[in-house]
Amino acid sequence: MPVSFLDTLGEAVTRRLAARSSRRGVLGRVGAAIAVAPAFPLLPVRRADAAPATPAPTLTDFERRAQSTDPTKCNYWRHCAIDGVLCGCCGGGIHTCPPGTEPSPVSWIGTCRNPDDGRSYVIAYRDCCGRNICAAPKSCGCNTADREMPIYRPQASNDIIWCFGTASTAYHCSTAAIIGQAG
Amino acid sequence: MLGWNMKAARRAAMAAMLAAPAGAALAASPVLQAEQSDVATLPPVGAHWVLPATDRDAYTLYDADAGRILGTLPASILGNIALSPDRRTFYVADTIWSRVDHGTRQDLLQEYDSHTLALRREIPLPPRALAVYKGQDFDVSPDGKWGYVFDMSPATSVTIVDLAKGAVARTVDIPGCALVFPWKQGGFSSLCGDGSLTNVGYAGDQPTVTHTAPFFDANNDPIFEQGLVDRATGHALFVSYTGKVYEAALGQKPDIAASWSLQAAAGQPVAGTGVQEQAWRPGGKQPFAWNRATGHLFVLMHVGPHWTHKTDGTEIWEFDPTRHALVRRIDLPQPARGIAVSGDAAPLLYATSPDGTMTVIDARTGTVRRTVEAHAQSMIVAPDLLPGRNG
Repeated sequence: MPVSFLDTLGEAVTRRLAARSSRRGVLGRVGAAIAVAPAFPLLPVRRADAAPATPAPTLTDFERRAQSTDPTKCNYWRHCAIDGVLCGCCGGGIHTCPPGTEPSPVSWIGTCRNPDDGRSYVIAYRDCCGRNICAAPKSCGCNTADREMPIYRPQASNDIIWCFGTASTAYHCSTAAIIGQAG
Repeated sequence: MLGWNMKAARRAAMAAMLAAPAGAALAASPVLQAEQSDVATLPPVGAHWVLPATDRDAYTLYDADAGRILGTLPASILGNIALSPDRRTFYVADTIWSRVDHGTRQDLLQEYDSHTLALRREIPLPPRALAVYKGQDFDVSPDGKWGYVFDMSPATSVTIVDLAKGAVARTVDIPGCALVFPWKQGGFSSLCGDGSLTNVGYAGDQPTVTHTAPFFDANNDPIFEQGLVDRATGHALFVSYTGKVYEAALGQKPDIAASWSLQAAAGQPVAGTGVQEQAWRPGGKQPFAWNRATGHLFVLMHVGPHWTHKTDGTEIWEFDPTRHALVRRIDLPQPARGIAVSGDAAPLLYATSPDGTMTVIDARTGTVRRTVEAHAQSMIVAPDLLPGRNG
């Protein structure tokens, strides 16, 4: 589940940080920095307001070309790591399952950049289940792979049929719901 | 029969000479005989037999030398196939529902006779992992005793099937890990999310589970799922998204060699993880093949930035992994998403393309032997026939 995944990720990062750093080590490094600071002249410095606020992130090819107007196209910004048929082509929508199908309670996730506001969002790619695969045009079948991971990192792996916990595990199509802003 | 026919023909010829010219030709040809309907059987499995997944409902068995279909083994898009080491059985692990898209879910290991393609037995399984086209979801141990089926619920485990008894022996949890890479004997390893391998030893009693230290960067440069195992030695080759190759001697305590770079071996710039860093990279749905006889590794390559690991390949690069050296670059007539290679010393290389064609390439010269309109999906299986196990 997305939330537990983020929790797990946070815990893993914290644990890794903890494992790699000792209190004494941190104190030592801070102390050393204080001790050697006077040795380095503080001027000239580049004035903060003269520099760009943050350097523009390097975008992936998908992000460079992403659009925000037509969610039934593979290049719609939320589809940066989708694999499957878009439910918007099958009687559903970007976060809506087609009639007669059932959304999977769990999903894989992607982190996609919205070209309108430049922010990154965590996207839940929930499959719609209980009918065989939707016979939409080929242009609705997408397979993008920004930050897509192998199956041993299942939360970011898009080849898995995510119809866990549904009445039927038959795969019909995929949606791309926003969970929240990425950190 | 022949004598009778000859006599009949001679008599007919005499009659034709004496009779009027009209209708002579009709009278001259013998009457076609009634036929019995029968069913073809297959010769022993050939070194150049290959099984592309076709449409969404089968693996189609080809003789690639002749370029013709020998038969069909039903399997869904979620099904896996493997040939038993004694070459007598094709195993298909698949999942079906009693009412097509709903009803009772049935996970099965199906045994097909490799001589008749008759369905011989079906072994019920616990729920398998359902993921499109991953050959590493299922395998048979090189001694033919055990079937290993990867499960995901989404917790991960492996079901071990006793193939002689035709029954599940047990299920082993492999938390945080996935897929099966069989050892030469007595177990299998799985790839894990922390960049390590977990190793499950099993000989019929209690399983022994060990873990390696992390050896690859699962966060930034993960290893492809489609690692390959030489079933004669139990050695595996794993390749990362950027093209690092890790060779591992699989076992309870795998021996993992220092990695080498595909691109460096080919005299090309080494690929990094930049999202705008154009470089030659491995990619596709089934990007690797390993020929046992020569030991050479074949990789589908394309030019692109990081995260193009699913992009179709425009070339196949052949490597000698023992020398970390490029042998040959093979231009493909069209981009391919999956490759396989036969196991013999005169290997054929098979490539599947998005339009469903299967290209058959002579791996010794890199030339295209034939192109088959095969309805091929991305996955393609070329059973390796280990010497001395002819069924």
